[in-house]
Amino acid sequence: MFKKFDEKESISGILQLKSSVQKGIRNKLIEQYPHLEGYIDNILPKKDAIRIVKCHDHVEIVVNSTGNLLFFRQREGPWMPTLKLLHKYPFFLPMEQVDKGAIKFVLSGANIMCPGLTSPGARMTEAPKGAIVAIMAEGKQHALAIGLTSLSTEEIAKVNKGVGIENVHYLNDGLWQMKPVK
Amino acid sequence: MTEEEKLVMGPKPGVNYPLEVIYCGNCSMPLEYCEYYPEYEKCKAWLEKNLPSEFEKLKVNDTTSEGAGDEEKKRQKRGGKGIMKTKKKEEGPKQVCISRAPRGKKKSVTVVTGLSSFGIDLKVAAKFFGQKFACGSSVTGDDEIVIQGDVKDDLFDIIPEKWPEIDDDLIEDLGDQKR
Ligand SMILES: [Zn+2]
Repeated sequence: MFKKFDEKESISGILQLKSSVQKGIRNKLIEQYPHLEGYIDNILPKKDAIRIVKCHDHVEIVVNSTGNLLFFRQREGPWMPTLKLLHKYPFFLPMEQVDKGAIKFVLSGANIMCPGLTSPGARMTEAPKGAIVAIMAEGKQHALAIGLTSLSTEEIAKVNKGVGIENVHYLNDGLWQMKPVK
Repeated sequence: MTEEEKLVMGPKPGVNYPLEVIYCGNCSMPLEYCEYYPEYEKCKAWLEKNLPSEFEKLKVNDTTSEGAGDEEKKRQKRGGKGIMKTKKKEEGPKQVCISRAPRGKKKSVTVVTGLSSFGIDLKVAAKFFGQKFACGSSVTGDDEIVIQGDVKDDLFDIIPEKWPEIDDDLIEDLGDQKR
């Protein structure tokens, strides 16, 4: 989603949100990510002025008053955390671990193929199709990508070929490189 | 933490969130991913200079994981290139350029470019110059600040003072320029 993203060219506008809309987003996030409940006040404080950065390709990014990028979505889809946010609170997405050999492919923006999730160094936690997941890596502590499952983890194990998880956002893509929004 | 515990959802007991992850000053990724960056050597140089203790750890790991290469070969070959791109931003060397340009018949302005290559917020910098010289100062372009008045010589002292990462060797004097 952010492979060709460029903060200079891809932003079309910034919207200040009404508090009622902010509240709606907060509630949506807690509903979607129950583990965030005790932390949402730190991430999106009630009194903070939240903004939405509108970008090309129907991408929207939630930004707090200090300009940090928190969540994004495409075409009114579910909100997904940025990797910077996920690194701070690394516990609210199901985690799927790729083996060592897959790391460089993920970092170049490739989708995650089933064999990279089923080999000895890999490890999956159960997730349905269409779930937002954190991509972890063998021997590494931090997530390297955010993905959207193309198949359920059960199917990934069974089929074991083709794309298993779509690579939505990864370290050093356009979103990762985007500076705080002033 | 075992590999199994790593993937369990939910906050870990006894851990304070938000976690503070250290990012590499060269490739911007968590340090553990530097080895995948095409300019790994630059990452290492950055680490040695800025986080010597982490750099020492890296050396230890390098020797212990020597066997990983063989293991890699046994694995199946994968398609695709799998080559990470380096950041586009690194176009030019980091440098600040200062020049003087005429404004009207008697007055001149000072043009500063290149500050954003050091990751400096231009709006903040423009405001700082305005206050420092008690004059007009504004962001006029992608990476350009125009300060009303001729303050070129003062900038050579003030910039390194305000932003220690900009050594005065990194400031280029372009002299007088027509606008
Ligand atoms: Zn690095």
